[in-house]
Amino acid sequence: MKTHKCGYASTKTKIMKKIYLFGVFTLAFCLSAFAQEGNFTLNGYVKDLDNGEELIGVTIYVEETKSGAITNVYGFYALSLPPGEYNILYSYMGYQTIRQQIDLTKDMVFNVELPSSVTEMDEVVITGEAIDANVTDIKMSRNDLNIQQVQRLPALFGEPDIIKTIQMLPGVISAGEGTSSFFVRGGSADQNLILIDEAPIYDPSHLFGLFSVFNSDVIKDSKLYKGGIPAQYGGRLSSILDVRTKDGNNKKFGGTAGIGLLASKLMVEGPIRKDKSSFIVSGRRSYVDLFLRAADQDNFVHFYDVNAKASWKHNNNNRFFAAVYLGRDVFEFEDVFGFDWGNATATFRWNHLFNDRLFSNTSVIASNFDYKMELDDNVQGFIWKSNLQEFSFKEDLNYFVNPSNALDFGYHVTYRRFEPGRLSPNAQNSIFVDTELQHQFALDHALYANHEWKASERLTLAYGARLSIFQNIGEQDVYLYDDPKENVDIERIDTLSFDAFENIKTYINLEPRVSLRYLLNPTSSLKASYSRMVQNTHLISSGTVPIPFNTWNPSDYYLEPQIADQWAVGYFKNLKNNSIELSSEIYYKDIQNVTDFADNAQVFFNNDLSTEYRQGDSWSYGLELMAQKKEGVLTGFISYTWSKAERKIPDVNQDKAFFANYDRRNAFNAVATYELNDKWVLGANFTYTTGRPTTVPSARYAYEGYQVDYITERNGYRLPDYHRLDLSATLTPRKNANRKWKSSWTFSIYNAYNRSNAFSIYTRVKQDDDGNIIGDGNEKEARMIYLFPILPSVTYNIKF
Amino acid sequence: MKLNYIILLFITVLAACDEPVTLDPKQVDPVIVIEGLITDRETYQYVRVTETVDFYAEGGSRPITDAEVSVVDNEGNQFIFEHNPREIERLDGYYLSENPFSGKVGNTYSLSVSYSGQQYQATDQLLRVAPIDSLEVIINEDEFADPDDPNYYYEVLFYATEPQETDDYYLFKFYRNDTLILESENDIYFSDDEVLAEQIDGLPTAGFYKQGDVAVVEMYSLTNNAFVYYNDLINLLENDGGMFGSPPVNPRNNLSNGAMGYFQTSAVASDTVMIK
Repeated sequence: MKTHKCGYASTKTKIMKKIYLFGVFTLAFCLSAFAQEGNFTLNGYVKDLDNGEELIGVTIYVEETKSGAITNVYGFYALSLPPGEYNILYSYMGYQTIRQQIDLTKDMVFNVELPSSVTEMDEVVITGEAIDANVTDIKMSRNDLNIQQVQRLPALFGEPDIIKTIQMLPGVISAGEGTSSFFVRGGSADQNLILIDEAPIYDPSHLFGLFSVFNSDVIKDSKLYKGGIPAQYGGRLSSILDVRTKDGNNKKFGGTAGIGLLASKLMVEGPIRKDKSSFIVSGRRSYVDLFLRAADQDNFVHFYDVNAKASWKHNNNNRFFAAVYLGRDVFEFEDVFGFDWGNATATFRWNHLFNDRLFSNTSVIASNFDYKMELDDNVQGFIWKSNLQEFSFKEDLNYFVNPSNALDFGYHVTYRRFEPGRLSPNAQNSIFVDTELQHQFALDHALYANHEWKASERLTLAYGARLSIFQNIGEQDVYLYDDPKENVDIERIDTLSFDAFENIKTYINLEPRVSLRYLLNPTSSLKASYSRMVQNTHLISSGTVPIPFNTWNPSDYYLEPQIADQWAVGYFKNLKNNSIELSSEIYYKDIQNVTDFADNAQVFFNNDLSTEYRQGDSWSYGLELMAQKKEGVLTGFISYTWSKAERKIPDVNQDKAFFANYDRRNAFNAVATYELNDKWVLGANFTYTTGRPTTVPSARYAYEGYQVDYITERNGYRLPDYHRLDLSATLTPRKNANRKWKSSWTFSIYNAYNRSNAFSIYTRVKQDDDGNIIGDGNEKEARMIYLFPILPSVTYNIKF
Repeated sequence: MKLNYIILLFITVLAACDEPVTLDPKQVDPVIVIEGLITDRETYQYVRVTETVDFYAEGGSRPITDAEVSVVDNEGNQFIFEHNPREIERLDGYYLSENPFSGKVGNTYSLSVSYSGQQYQATDQLLRVAPIDSLEVIINEDEFADPDDPNYYYEVLFYATEPQETDDYYLFKFYRNDTLILESENDIYFSDDEVLAEQIDGLPTAGFYKQGDVAVVEMYSLTNNAFVYYNDLINLLENDGGMFGSPPVNPRNNLSNGAMGYFQTSAVASDTVMIK
């Protein structure tokens, strides 16, 4: 075999860095000049009065100029105004609106603490004047999840889960109950970027998806971007789920505890130095295994999560945060076979104010995902391990130029390391030899800038771009094949060897992002957006729902970046003093190089995996309608989605187009909570969707003794329609009012009318329930798996 | 990969129930199915020719009794196959070689089947097989307590030397008193040697035996194509409907013109042990 050497290592990286540093400073410099003369800046943080948590998305409205701002993800806002006296309203969901008179004679810092609307029943302050983000914000195709509401909704086994609520949003499809995957606007599950405190989570599932990794106790804010994705985000095609955890109460110690059927959890928070620094620590563990152990069972399963965060406010201009997430699932079967998987992330953030208008967030992020499988046996024993790691540095800058102009720009760099698998014998007499799949490495740079411009009272325009520079780097051997797509008689003809950090392949893509909002009248607007997204980290999975043992692969010598173009337009309307928000959107999304597998691909432990994957086209379109009521005794939303998602991939389904695994024509969801009185809160979910497509046999035949299905078409059959109703009631005893320990009970009924919803269809030789074959062993039957019957549960929660 | 099964099992254990459902599959024209085996044993070699039937039909594949079947090797020897020469009803669809013959290690065999104006062809190479070093009988004490098979607690272990310098593929068949053992109806015992070490010492074979049983272990050589076929076949047989694993698809085989099945040529190593 011949070996080539490929040249010029990472000089490009060094040059890039210089360009970047130069860019940031000149840009910042120009911008200060650009800022209008004679204006003063009002900026600050908006916090919760009770616990000092910074609030994300608070609306700041200046009555005199009818303009405003929204706090960013760090709770920071800035306004630039001519000198004068202003009435400024700070309003936020679930909090009392504050009206503040400010005499702006110089640049001012004004930090606000909002009192929560404790007795929401009668004291909800609805301010007619307050501007409403649904209509006025330029962002479309975005849903914010209200965590308080999620916690009061009925939940499977009584465990509130934001991903289960996300699956009910318009434009979002689930593969079925009991899964944590979601599919946004015709995109596959790995096209979602799931972030916890900016760190990516590669597999958000516990127990193969029964629960997600998100412990609702520590979530402060979660947003799902489905389209019109800001230039700040990139790396995945279809959505960004941005989850931010709480910073911890910096005024007093407190916490919550919950005891559920499947898992229990404890959260403690408090100040380290009052008003200066705080911590929060939270843990959750399932204990099914304890029951199983008690029942003398040999099969164990458990999962746990730990979230911890410390934040320290050095002064108003410098704030530091460190956050850690750890989670793991562990399965053991009869002390012989076991597997486990887990995510670990760490984020360190520094928020800095360069000046009154230039806000900076610097983050250093690490994320690890790994799994392990182990068979304990003298002869067939093995350990199979795999992991992937990434390290990122991000610099994000928000520049509040003047009331009409805001600029966001920054630079991200990420280093990724993939270890797809190593199989080692774990006994002396094992029949296995130590075998390792090749590691892969990638370096990913992104430079972005976005300008939001309020062109007139009615028209706001945002445009920007993200430049993604992706490098697949050594150390790696690239195999050259006689036919790179031949996956039966694989013939390697040559090998290219690359040293550490040597460039193997570079992909440069410019991702334009444009959105606009046109205000028709104070309560309605039109919005439109276009975005291009590029994905260079691909999940190699052939099923509908990815499993933790699937392989992540960077774009490389063979695999090209996936590229999605999405267009969306929408009409947004608020009714009844902004208490009801209506939205309607249509979208079209076109994906090039969508990654799939050739039929019959060998997905696991394959050193020639590149011969198995195929890249093709995917297109999807749909209509989404949503009505949401955020205030009052009855809150919730109803959503309806009509959508279609198709794919055409070489060597799949005989090269013909087919419906994506998650294509569902109609989806209707309703989510509501009702505050009956100060003791009881009722909740309900209802969901109805068209069945998902599946592949069933058209005929069968015998080969040797086996009864084999004959398949003619992928996804040509539909599972029956899916529908389900869940109910909940939360009891908060009245005597709580005078207690230090406030307790509550949540009763849930999952699948209240006991519908048998199809999870999957498979076939087998016809047999009775005990596995005895019926007939001559030739006949087959199709079987439908149903997951959950009616399932009541109860959770006991304490707040202290 | 049985991973999908484990996951499905887990989900099923947790809460699920599983009921028969009646599909309404598309009606498709029958497709020819060819199953052929040439070994290096001196015997009447066979090729079976059948047609697919509707998923819900009774009985197995429909036998095709009027095809023309022949095999040629790369030395130019031709072997004509006759349909069910002894006219035994359960052997309808089976074509036997006119005379017993043994395949030769290293030779390539080409099958040709002609039926209803269509030609179907396949080629496979007969590769050498590693010898079985020995079989060992042990008592598996965990099986004493099994109430279903009170006396079946003997287990047969397998010893072989795997040649490390070549890429080899194997199919195993285990017999208890001449009856093929499958621990579950979809089991296929086959392997490549990618992760195998040289010494295969004490690998348990399928099934359990009682005193007085005769255990036979057969090891067939496979080509890469045949290995891929069996791999695809088991993925199809154990498919979970495409939830966690890939959606079901027809196995890749060596037959032309859209025929299902496989034409296999193998050298066979065999060893017998008496349980006492």
